[in-house]
Amino acid sequence: MTDVAAAVDRLIGGDKATLARALTAVENAYPHAAELLEALRPHTGCARVVGVTGPPGVGKSTLCNALIREWRTRGHRVGVIAVDPSSPLSGGAVLGDRVRMHEHDQDDFVFIRSLAARTNGGGLAASTAGAIVVLDAAGMDCVLIETVGSGQSQVDIAGVAKTTVVVSAPGFGDEVQALKAGILEIADVLVVNKADLPHAEQTARQLRIMLGLRDAQRWQPPVVMTSGHTGQGVDQLAEALQEHHDSIVTDTPAATQTHTVADLLRKLASEDPYVRHLGIEFITGGSGHASVRMRVQPSHISFNGTCHGGALFSLADAAFGLASNSHGVVAAGIDAHITYPRAVKVGDVLTAGAVEETRSRRFATYRVIVTRSDGATVATFTGTVATVGGARPGAPQ
Amino acid sequence: MSAKPKSVQLPLPGFDSALSTWQRDYASQVGEEPVLHNRSGIEIKPLYTPDDWPASRYMEDLGFPGVAPMTRGIYSSMHRGRTWTQRQLIGYGTPQDYNRRLRKLMDAGVTAVSLIPCNSVYRGYDADEVDIELLGTCGAVVNNVDDMQVCLDEIPIDRVSTAMNDPLPFTLLAFVLGVAKRRGIAWTAITGTSNQSDYISHFVANHMFLRLGLPGNRRVLVDEVDFCQQHVPNWNPVSIVGQHMQQAGATPAQAMAFALCTAIQFAEDCLERGMQANEFLPRFTFFFDISLSFFEEIAKFRAGRRIWARIVRERFKADAGRACRFKFHSQTSGADLTRQQPLNNIARVAVQAMAGIFGGTQSLHTDAYDEVLTTPTEEPSRIAINTQNILREEAHLTDVIDPLGGSYYVETLTSQMEAEIEAVVGQIDALGGMYRAVESGAVQRMIGESALAFQERIENGAQKIVGVNAYQVDESAHVSPASQRPAPGTMENYLQSLQAYKSSRSNKQVQAALSELQRACNTVDKNVFEHIVDAAIAGLTHGEICACLRRELEFGQPLVIV
Amino acid sequence: MHANGDGIPAKVLVTKIGLDGHDRGSRVVAAYLRDAGMEVIYTGPWQQIPAVVALTQEEDVDVVGISSLATDHLIVPKLMRALRDAGLAHVRVVVGGIVPDDEVSMLHENGVSKVFHPGSSREEIVAAVQQLAEQARCERPEI
Repeated sequence: MTDVAAAVDRLIGGDKATLARALTAVENAYPHAAELLEALRPHTGCARVVGVTGPPGVGKSTLCNALIREWRTRGHRVGVIAVDPSSPLSGGAVLGDRVRMHEHDQDDFVFIRSLAARTNGGGLAASTAGAIVVLDAAGMDCVLIETVGSGQSQVDIAGVAKTTVVVSAPGFGDEVQALKAGILEIADVLVVNKADLPHAEQTARQLRIMLGLRDAQRWQPPVVMTSGHTGQGVDQLAEALQEHHDSIVTDTPAATQTHTVADLLRKLASEDPYVRHLGIEFITGGSGHASVRMRVQPSHISFNGTCHGGALFSLADAAFGLASNSHGVVAAGIDAHITYPRAVKVGDVLTAGAVEETRSRRFATYRVIVTRSDGATVATFTGTVATVGGARPGAPQ
Repeated sequence: MSAKPKSVQLPLPGFDSALSTWQRDYASQVGEEPVLHNRSGIEIKPLYTPDDWPASRYMEDLGFPGVAPMTRGIYSSMHRGRTWTQRQLIGYGTPQDYNRRLRKLMDAGVTAVSLIPCNSVYRGYDADEVDIELLGTCGAVVNNVDDMQVCLDEIPIDRVSTAMNDPLPFTLLAFVLGVAKRRGIAWTAITGTSNQSDYISHFVANHMFLRLGLPGNRRVLVDEVDFCQQHVPNWNPVSIVGQHMQQAGATPAQAMAFALCTAIQFAEDCLERGMQANEFLPRFTFFFDISLSFFEEIAKFRAGRRIWARIVRERFKADAGRACRFKFHSQTSGADLTRQQPLNNIARVAVQAMAGIFGGTQSLHTDAYDEVLTTPTEEPSRIAINTQNILREEAHLTDVIDPLGGSYYVETLTSQMEAEIEAVVGQIDALGGMYRAVESGAVQRMIGESALAFQERIENGAQKIVGVNAYQVDESAHVSPASQRPAPGTMENYLQSLQAYKSSRSNKQVQAALSELQRACNTVDKNVFEHIVDAAIAGLTHGEICACLRRELEFGQPLVIV
Repeated sequence: MHANGDGIPAKVLVTKIGLDGHDRGSRVVAAYLRDAGMEVIYTGPWQQIPAVVALTQEEDVDVVGISSLATDHLIVPKLMRALRDAGLAHVRVVVGGIVPDDEVSMLHENGVSKVFHPGSSREEIVAAVQQLAEQARCERPEI
């Protein structure tokens, strides 16, 4: 009898062997895989999932290797799923992508797993979505998926990745033409790799022209020049990924003003030492509302073995503080109350959403609901602020 | 009716009618037969005649030894004037062990020094940087000038040629020059070859020798050629190793083509540095594998000689006769030897060696029959040398120059191999030359496919191998010779001596040489190899020099493709 | 097609430790296993033992194949110890290449399941690896 609950505990506690076996269970659709994924879901939602696709030969693996290195210098934990094609004749496969990422083999904060595409024609192994859940629950900050990279079928990747990177390289003119019809549409970031080769700039220009045809209302995919081999441009790629990540979590297309409010709130959150200390991440916000996210760490646990009430309060309070300061004037909390209907464990991913309920010239009240990734409510919070100052410098009008 | 004549001079039948009679008879005797191909994929017919190669092509295809088209050999006297160099590659244990063995072999008839260093040296490390279990098991541990001095003790290096398995960045050559300096021997008197200077073959096929990344290797090789031209003019700084390609699975034709393309690449790199083709090309040498495919190997060498002479004249416009000479060392192929009934390998090696001799080799290494069982031991090594002695002294294989020249089969096959090789050269040219072709993995893919195809022929029985898929005997009782490992304590002692060497050096001198080397790596117009020689003489160890280059010029990782 | 009893392909790591760089044998074997329906992780030469352990664990392989042509088999006992220490005792290890007869038993004593010599046939290798993979799957914790 497989003890799924114990396995989940080990996995979110950072046990690599369990992580590896959980990936195998998902990959091979073992009987307990569905139950396992269900049990892991509360612990997911923190990872940014980046898919990398593009025709064979553009240097995807080498680029991924360089991107992992860049993320590591930024302190991220990285999970990688490298998909290789299976032989249509034998069903076997040689999984060789990770050879080009070998410098991370002994890094405890990088976990690389090769997946054979098996019968799935899309280039994405059927089990990729499940594998992402597992790596996310295991606490990876970034999950990178490298696809087989064959033409149109790569469109699949957009379904599972939050950010899709389409890689091209000089000399891939025909392939780029093919991209136009399909995978260019799904690109959030475009990369011209092997930028140290001649004609790289020309390739980039071609891509920009094709992009010009895209609906300009939405996110405009940047074209980044990189060399996976020398590492040139990879920091810009990481920046572009970060920008896209920020844009999707704050993507409320209604008014530009909301967008700038969100920018203000992200800035406030990033400058708050206490919020940073707890590992709280800003997700989205606008006039009178804000939401933030946190993964429960071992250091958040009380002597009862569950998440400390103070940590939950802090999470709710962070959302409360941001929502109440979203109007451009400085507000300070003067009263708050919280209830904890459900215990929370290590590895759970929690989201706190604050909404304004009343607002007068001097006072405003907020309700904050804290939910786990599976949707369960774990805390409700109410709070009141008083306006204590004038306009915040740099705040939108 | 009339009286019978006493004797009748029967008229000779016409060529065409005789040929068709033979064809009919042959077909009736043999019936349906599968089409045969050699390893390079060339169809092999049952009979060759002047229809295939008419003697009227003699001057065009053969000419005379020592002049273009060079088919018959690169010297006018060939083996009749001077037989090949008997070069047994040896190396084992400590520098003392090596010196003892070298002197013994020279007494047995070996005419040149060769040195295989320990795998730790190949990988660019000192003995104290690797697992002690691996030290000295496959070659001699040589880490500094002192070690080299012991290796070459009482060897007249101003008179015998020295060949080092010494990949980039050529630390062993630097140590030899250090020893010469200590002994007061002028560098101009030093002769020999940097056996393993072909970094392209290391990147593609024999990764053991790969220490630096492609760009760093590319630069330091040209530095070495330049340095030797100025200071060690009788040294061959370049040896292009088709052998690795063939051992890794390339067909004989592919291996020859890859070697020629590599030579073209190196020559172009030297030209770009401003050197003169007529000056550096005479110092280019080659190194090939000799497989058991007897006639194919002979044709490979004859064709290679012809193509190289043409490349030198047509591509590089070099007119010096010496520049056209396709000088090569050859080694019998270890991949053809079997673990089963290992003494059979003696027969295999003899046939391979004959192909090398008939192919016109300048230097020959014959494998010991136990090479496939363990690191070659002493008696099998002696038999290997004596195989060469027997072929020369008893079988008189050297009495006639190019004795197979004019054979309808050999000439036809030579031309067919030539066309096959040229086709591969054309493919590599189209990919932008050898450097680009290996960078992209194209060559690796071609070799991988050939290796698998040959293995497939063994698996399906099309290629019989005695003792493996044919004529097997029960060998369960057979035990291979005891493996030879350094005696317990030997390597511990060596490590102590290395420690003592390191602490006896002048720290100031070592630091100064190291920072000079570092600076040279980062200065475009400095000759890195010149500073490696300085560093070796100043007391830096092999591992220290390699570490500096790895740091400054990037570590070498092969592009492996399955 | 060779799959395990449960229809799932065997997963094999084919690699080289130590100092040698000859990889013709390991490439051919990797292709054999692929063509027999297995999933093969293939690495370049000179892997450090801790890296091989990390790969074995991350990829959750059933069998590790070590190719050795120039005495690298002498450090295989170190690898066996490291695998056991990492809780990977169920993983089967095979060695292929040039291993002198008098050192084969040393490898077996250290837990190596099988030693393949030059001339081993495709059939022999595929069948043995398949069988060892199935054994490993049986002993491995489910999750």
